[in-house]
Amino acid sequence: MAELQKGYVSRKTMEIVTTLLTGGVGIAICIESWRSGVGWSDTGPEAGYFPFIVGSLVILGSVVTLLRSLFFYNHEGEIFIDIERAKPVLGFFLPIVAFIVISLLLGLYVGTALYIFGSMKWQGGYRWWVSTCAALAVSALFYLVFEVGFQVPLLKGPIEGWLGIY
Amino acid sequence: MGNFSYLMDGFSTIITWHHILIMIVGVMLGILVGVLPGLGAPNGVSLLLPLTFTMDPISAIILLSCMYWGALFGGSTTSILFNIPGEPSSVATTFDGYPMAKNGQATRALTLAFMSAGIGALAGVIMITLLSTWVAGFALQFSSPEFFAVYFLAFASFIGMSGNAPAKTLVTMMLGFAFATVGMDTISGGLRLTFGIPDLIKGVSFLVAVMGLFGIGELLLTTEEGLRFDGIKARVRIVDVLKALKEMPRYSWSILRSTVIGIWMGITPAGPTAASFMSYGLARRFAKDKSGFGKGDPRGIVSPETADHSAGTAALLPMLALGVPGSATAAVMMGGLMIWGLTPGPMLFIDRPDFVWGLIASMYLGNVVAVVLVLATVPIYASILRVPFSIVGPVIVAIIFSGAYQIANSTFDMWLVLGFGILGYLFKKLDYPIAPLVLAMVLGDKAEDAFRQSMLMSNGSLSIFWSNPLVTGIMALGLLMLLWPILANAVGVRNLRRRAAGHSAKI
Repeated sequence: MAELQKGYVSRKTMEIVTTLLTGGVGIAICIESWRSGVGWSDTGPEAGYFPFIVGSLVILGSVVTLLRSLFFYNHEGEIFIDIERAKPVLGFFLPIVAFIVISLLLGLYVGTALYIFGSMKWQGGYRWWVSTCAALAVSALFYLVFEVGFQVPLLKGPIEGWLGIY
Repeated sequence: MGNFSYLMDGFSTIITWHHILIMIVGVMLGILVGVLPGLGAPNGVSLLLPLTFTMDPISAIILLSCMYWGALFGGSTTSILFNIPGEPSSVATTFDGYPMAKNGQATRALTLAFMSAGIGALAGVIMITLLSTWVAGFALQFSSPEFFAVYFLAFASFIGMSGNAPAKTLVTMMLGFAFATVGMDTISGGLRLTFGIPDLIKGVSFLVAVMGLFGIGELLLTTEEGLRFDGIKARVRIVDVLKALKEMPRYSWSILRSTVIGIWMGITPAGPTAASFMSYGLARRFAKDKSGFGKGDPRGIVSPETADHSAGTAALLPMLALGVPGSATAAVMMGGLMIWGLTPGPMLFIDRPDFVWGLIASMYLGNVVAVVLVLATVPIYASILRVPFSIVGPVIVAIIFSGAYQIANSTFDMWLVLGFGILGYLFKKLDYPIAPLVLAMVLGDKAEDAFRQSMLMSNGSLSIFWSNPLVTGIMALGLLMLLWPILANAVGVRNLRRRAAGHSAKI
């Protein structure tokens, strides 16, 4: 792809990719509902009856959008994203993935604290003790609001166990 | 006047310290989510919803609806002070609100916005008070085919009103229906669309979708645009507030027109965003002197704000009386009602009048509380926006994922939120509308049940949707809405719409 070498992705490319994606999802929906049965049984329409129609309409909408992007395109020359703009987005997105993984291992309180600490320290450029205080404060606030205030538990990990919090 | 005595009963239910406190908390939280980027009204209500499962329904709905009002006000605040719409529906307010604030009249702009918003909201509530029993009574004669026809009308008007890309609206809407059908089929008990993944058996909650699409998706867009909040210092002085109040009557004609537009667009699923754009466009069109627009014309603030809020409140009428929400946030609230075991629709007025009228009464009081609170607290919220994004962003992310986990204590939902976030980012950049997806997810089961029951009644023949004048009328209206782009093209009305759509695409 010539675009990638120049460091950007055009909107047209993404439009087409998205229609292929949604169209693929539509096909998947149709196949799965076909398996649940799309016809009639003694009790009326089978489970896949409605989803099958829905899936077909997803495919229809995707095909129309694809054709429009190919032949009646009215955003010619627009850029979807270039490297300059992709960097901050990835810089925000990847820590979220790390946050989820850490939270699954260590619980949401620890995950939140580490995530906030990391973002403030490395992206905000705050000193480590400012970041630490803010991170602990947010986690403590979460605990007060969720656990104490509304009495809904958050995911906890081994560290809370050692500290005997729950 | 049966409605009036019901309303008084409603007031007597809600005027307790407990409920007023909840109102204040709801409004304050609402302004907060309205002000913060990436946290809009639908997302805020979704985050709060799991926390209300332990509350009684009346307190819970007061909390959620007041959060909605607060969010609408918060969205206007950032539009005026920072030129950043906190909500899509307050984009039109930036056109004249920000210039006026920049000219050193921030207080005037804010007061005009909040007052007209308050008036719009009250007009919406009065309309609900007057019409809801009547609409609900009318809907009592509905059976499955009629209900399906109403859903059809709602979704058809989404496609018809979607401006330049009806096919994209169709795609997001149908994806919403597909997400709603994932999991156990309520009628046959069979599993559907689970793709062999055990975590999908419980289904995909609409809350997860809202948190991802509106929350994470919006935040990703925000980081991409690299928003810098260099807003205008706002000090609200009582003298300026009073001065602005004194000039309000001058705009009564704008307010009246915008109220009508707002209420109409709120009842039909066009929603607050379309209402505010249309109202702004018309205010400009009917103005004798257009030169001030875009430079801080007060009518350019009053009109979109009135329409935005009257549409926001009016959106609750179809939700309560028919079970068809008029906006994404109303859809989330309706999902909440169903989780609490209340089925919105005509039967709710008969089974739980205390709940319905408590809610309506709280809408009067909540909006008054909101106007007062938002004026009093604007400086505080404005200072929150000056906190750097490297702190606010991660905190919002952490709140969203904590909220996602609380829906069903499921870690799988956290990954789903991330997936929906990417989808939301993609959809927003490519102008796929997201509200239809949320509406379809909330209504999916009910629409499907209505459809299947109708099919059962007619043994699989679609002719049941033309079997009596009522259902035929609704279906015909739906088809008209569906074909509206083609018809309007022929008449030439479409140009105006497209311009409005072009604006909203920039969000």
